[in-house]
Amino acid sequence: MAVHQGTLIKQGAEARVYIAPFCGRKAIVKERFAKAYRHPALDKKLTSRRVTQEARCLNRCQKALIDTPTVYMVDVASSLIYMELIDGLSVREYMETDEGSTQAARTHIAEEIGRALGKMHNIDVVHGDLTTSNLLMRNNDSKSVVLIDFGLSYVSNLVEDKAVDLYVLERAFSSTHPNTEVMFEQILASYGTSCKASKQILKKLEEVRLRGRKRSMLG
Amino acid sequence: MESFPIEAVPEAGLVHIACYTGVNNASALKERLQAQDKTLAIGLVESNLILDMFQLLVAATKAALDERAGKLRTNSVNAEIVYNLSPTNNIAESLRRFGISDSTTSLMAISIGGEAAAVLEEMNKTVDGTLTSFSDLEQGTDLATLRKYFKIDPKVTDKAQVLDWIIGAMAMKNVL
Repeated sequence: MAVHQGTLIKQGAEARVYIAPFCGRKAIVKERFAKAYRHPALDKKLTSRRVTQEARCLNRCQKALIDTPTVYMVDVASSLIYMELIDGLSVREYMETDEGSTQAARTHIAEEIGRALGKMHNIDVVHGDLTTSNLLMRNNDSKSVVLIDFGLSYVSNLVEDKAVDLYVLERAFSSTHPNTEVMFEQILASYGTSCKASKQILKKLEEVRLRGRKRSMLG
Repeated sequence: MESFPIEAVPEAGLVHIACYTGVNNASALKERLQAQDKTLAIGLVESNLILDMFQLLVAATKAALDERAGKLRTNSVNAEIVYNLSPTNNIAESLRRFGISDSTTSLMAISIGGEAAAVLEEMNKTVDGTLTSFSDLEQGTDLATLRKYFKIDPKVTDKAQVLDWIIGAMAMKNVL
């Protein structure tokens, strides 16, 4: 195992996530593992590209003062990203608690999410996998929303990509949290005030809703 | 002196860090570094640019990792630590900014591996100054210069956030 003294906390199709000690702190270590079904040369290239892409998007957000985990170290050779461990529940978990079920708490979360996404789209970062599990509530006084898992993120200035990003979140919301249409409307309202091109993006979202995530029906 | 494990590269051993004030021989040490004197086997860092021990430990971890991979960009693991503290890929500039200068009076000595007692003896022999603790150095952090070098956004004021910004920039410098 590549991660020394690490405790596995999540395993997905692309990566394993550990909690491990790092320079006197506890850190998250995300390991992208090799895929046996791909040609080794191709696999190495794709994996290292995705590792750097994820780290770059995280850093781009940090520099724009969007709350994201700080990247501590990138080990491209071993496909590892060491990053800040965020103390807090995911929005998904939080919404299931008594505190997170109140109207006031939900309005606060919605505003925070909308603001974070608006700022992220302002710097042309498209998250690519927005779900309520990839949004954390920082366990401090401000209870700010932290965006995590930039494994599928990329830089794009296309209205289409940003609208699809919102659409993916809308679908994730309606499938994991029934009867939260009002809350999603609040997210979009907050998004509208913080994102510069929100008018065009929200208009595009209407279009995406009618046809789904994929633009072309061919192939 | 304090010693810390390098969790990401455990086989490298411990990293030893000692802080000195009232240093008298900075210019002689700098000359030895520039002449690539192999008998000077410790890294020397300008202490007023170190905001938190974490910053130096991350730089040391990256140096240990690159040494294991045979990918050092400078000529020694100690110089690599100093280089890693900087956000730019310019080696000369990084060493000049984060290494010691002729006017340095307080510095941090750092060394990877070896036994603590022997390392401390070597450091005390090399540096002509008073051994102190990091907490006694801390007041001397030159935040204005750090802000300039790392181009830190003026809206970032909290110490923990400043540190996060610095660590993030250090982590990204070799990610092309």
